[in-house]
Amino acid sequence: MLKVENLTKEFKGVTAVKDLSFAVAPGKIFGLLGPNGAGKTTTIRTVINVLKPTSGKIYFDDKPLTEKFYNLVGYLPEERGLYKKSKVWDVILYLAEIKGMAAKEAKSKAQEWLRVFEIENYRDKKIEELSKGNQQKVQFISSIIHDPGLLILDEPFSGFDPINQQFIKDLILSMAKSGKIIILSTHQMETAERLCTDILLINKGKEVCSGQLSDVKNKFGSNMIKVEYNGDGSFLNSLPEVKRIDNYSNYAEIQLEDNISPHVFLRKIVTGIDVKYFSVIEPSLNKIFIDLIQESSN
Amino acid sequence: MRKVLAIAKWEYWEKVKTKTFLISLILTPAIIIGFSLAPTFLSGSGDSYTKAIGIIDTSGLFTNKIKNGLENIRLKNNQPSYILINLTEHGKDEDVLIRSANLSVIKGHLDGYLLINYGGSDSVSAKYYNKGSDNIKDISNFENVFNSAKLQIELSGINISPKILESLSRRGEIKTIKIEANGETSNNDFVTVFFTSFIFIILLMMMILSSGGMLIRNLVEEKSNRLIEILVSSCSPNQLLTGKVLGLSTLGLTQVIIWGIIGIVLEGISTIPSNAFNNIIPIAIYFVLGFIFYTAIFVGLGSVVTTEQEAQQITSYLSLTLILPIAISVPAMENPNSVFVHILSYIPFTIPSVMILRFNIESIPFPEILTSTLIMVVSIYIAIVGSSKIFKIGILSYGKRPSIRELINWLRE
Repeated sequence: MLKVENLTKEFKGVTAVKDLSFAVAPGKIFGLLGPNGAGKTTTIRTVINVLKPTSGKIYFDDKPLTEKFYNLVGYLPEERGLYKKSKVWDVILYLAEIKGMAAKEAKSKAQEWLRVFEIENYRDKKIEELSKGNQQKVQFISSIIHDPGLLILDEPFSGFDPINQQFIKDLILSMAKSGKIIILSTHQMETAERLCTDILLINKGKEVCSGQLSDVKNKFGSNMIKVEYNGDGSFLNSLPEVKRIDNYSNYAEIQLEDNISPHVFLRKIVTGIDVKYFSVIEPSLNKIFIDLIQESSN
Repeated sequence: MRKVLAIAKWEYWEKVKTKTFLISLILTPAIIIGFSLAPTFLSGSGDSYTKAIGIIDTSGLFTNKIKNGLENIRLKNNQPSYILINLTEHGKDEDVLIRSANLSVIKGHLDGYLLINYGGSDSVSAKYYNKGSDNIKDISNFENVFNSAKLQIELSGINISPKILESLSRRGEIKTIKIEANGETSNNDFVTVFFTSFIFIILLMMMILSSGGMLIRNLVEEKSNRLIEILVSSCSPNQLLTGKVLGLSTLGLTQVIIWGIIGIVLEGISTIPSNAFNNIIPIAIYFVLGFIFYTAIFVGLGSVVTTEQEAQQITSYLSLTLILPIAISVPAMENPNSVFVHILSYIPFTIPSVMILRFNIESIPFPEILTSTLIMVVSIYIAIVGSSKIFKIGILSYGKRPSIRELINWLRE
């Protein structure tokens, strides 16, 4: 169990993260979401013990972080890069060794992972000779080779083709199944929606919403409808029943005010437009993200 | 500790394997030996042609004597080194003679000419006019011949045997012998001191600069591709810094040992003066201490920069402190007991090179060796602690380089 309590981090008077609390249980995939500059990376850096929090506490299995914690963390930073001039094999072994692995164990694990990722043939090549995707694979291996209890993945899918993205997704799911704590930070809402069990949405260093994904959807997704129509639908934007609306030329996603039922609303709009399709929907995480961030920014 | 060793091992092997290291390992001593030996060869071999030297001697007393003297000086092929041409013409003013002689030199008819001013035995002087390409050896030849001619003229009234005259006119030399701490003596001529001190100081400088540069470039790479975040999420900044310093120091030691072997081999084939290695152990100790000290500083400052250009700037600033001892080495050799040299023997930045220099000039009292070694050890400790404070923050800060004030704040944290 990873517990973060009232985390605050300031840099030279600028508050990057303010009073953030969350907990991630083993076996869960925790989505740390937010727009660029929201404080995700700062939060991650504090959790992995790279930055000292200005205030707040971080516990791993109910104990404060100590030097031993270093060996329990696997971290895949958003900006990738390895020692370009060094050989794949050497780099993997080095990063495994400073995670406290014994050389012998590191070697057998490295061999195993290179085989799983299908890059065995490259083990004696220099990093710079590899394609971008294969470099990503090497970096991914480096972050999981020591079998970390806590795995932090910052945009793990960037740079991978769809086949490898699927492969990484499966890998992440199987690691969660084996009881690891996984924190996933990404801008790909679709991926987060499919992988994450819990989310924390932050903006400007502060929590915007958090909880189980299904709860979040219920909370923010009540009374959503989707309408496809012909005709001029611009009057929809100004109806008092509409709480939020995404209106395109012949298609709209609308969140209604809480006391309005969808069929009453339908009856009202059929006089103005030719409704081709009408349905009550669950909002996408993407939609929740955009709405909440816009709301909290205003 | 295991992590520190893993980091040290990585830093060491990844650098030893590079071509740059191999090249500098072999090329550096080659260049230095080339540079040190070239002047000896050049001045030793001398000129290969006979020089035409004019003489203006209105007294007429010196011309023949100088001519005889110069005739005895021979080139390697036994041709005379100089041909003396008498430019003195009776009845002509000295100024006129000088003007026409100058013209001859400029036109290349003459390599230079001697002007003798004789105003009685109390005021005799000589000047050598040339285009400025004078060889120290030529001047010293002229001086010898002139002095001996002067002596002959002065003693001409007295009946003295030519043998005594010759012995009188030969200059005596004083050879300096250095007494080592163990009571043994060693020849201590200028060339040897110059040669050995310079070899070690320049080696130290080149090593610090090349490995310091490597270190900073590495840090810049680790910072720019965020590898540093993986590293500091695997071990503490202190472990990382200690590992890096340790790895690079071992690298430095490897270089010293290999260069030492090269030196001993060259000594065997007598390219290097045999006493160049008399003080090799204390020199090696100062060498390694200096190297660790500078490396620790490089790690701290290197963590602050984010681009290659900034890295180069910092390297060049630091190299200035290394060049200083070379700049003062000549006055230091002339007077190793000067206050200035003594002060520099207590400043950590200059201790290594100044002590290396002094070890070759004089035997240094043991308390002084102990003090300066202690200063180095303490300075290394301070440098590592200070650097690690800057390092901790520096490696994670990007963009603008911090100001001196910010750095001081980091040190206080």
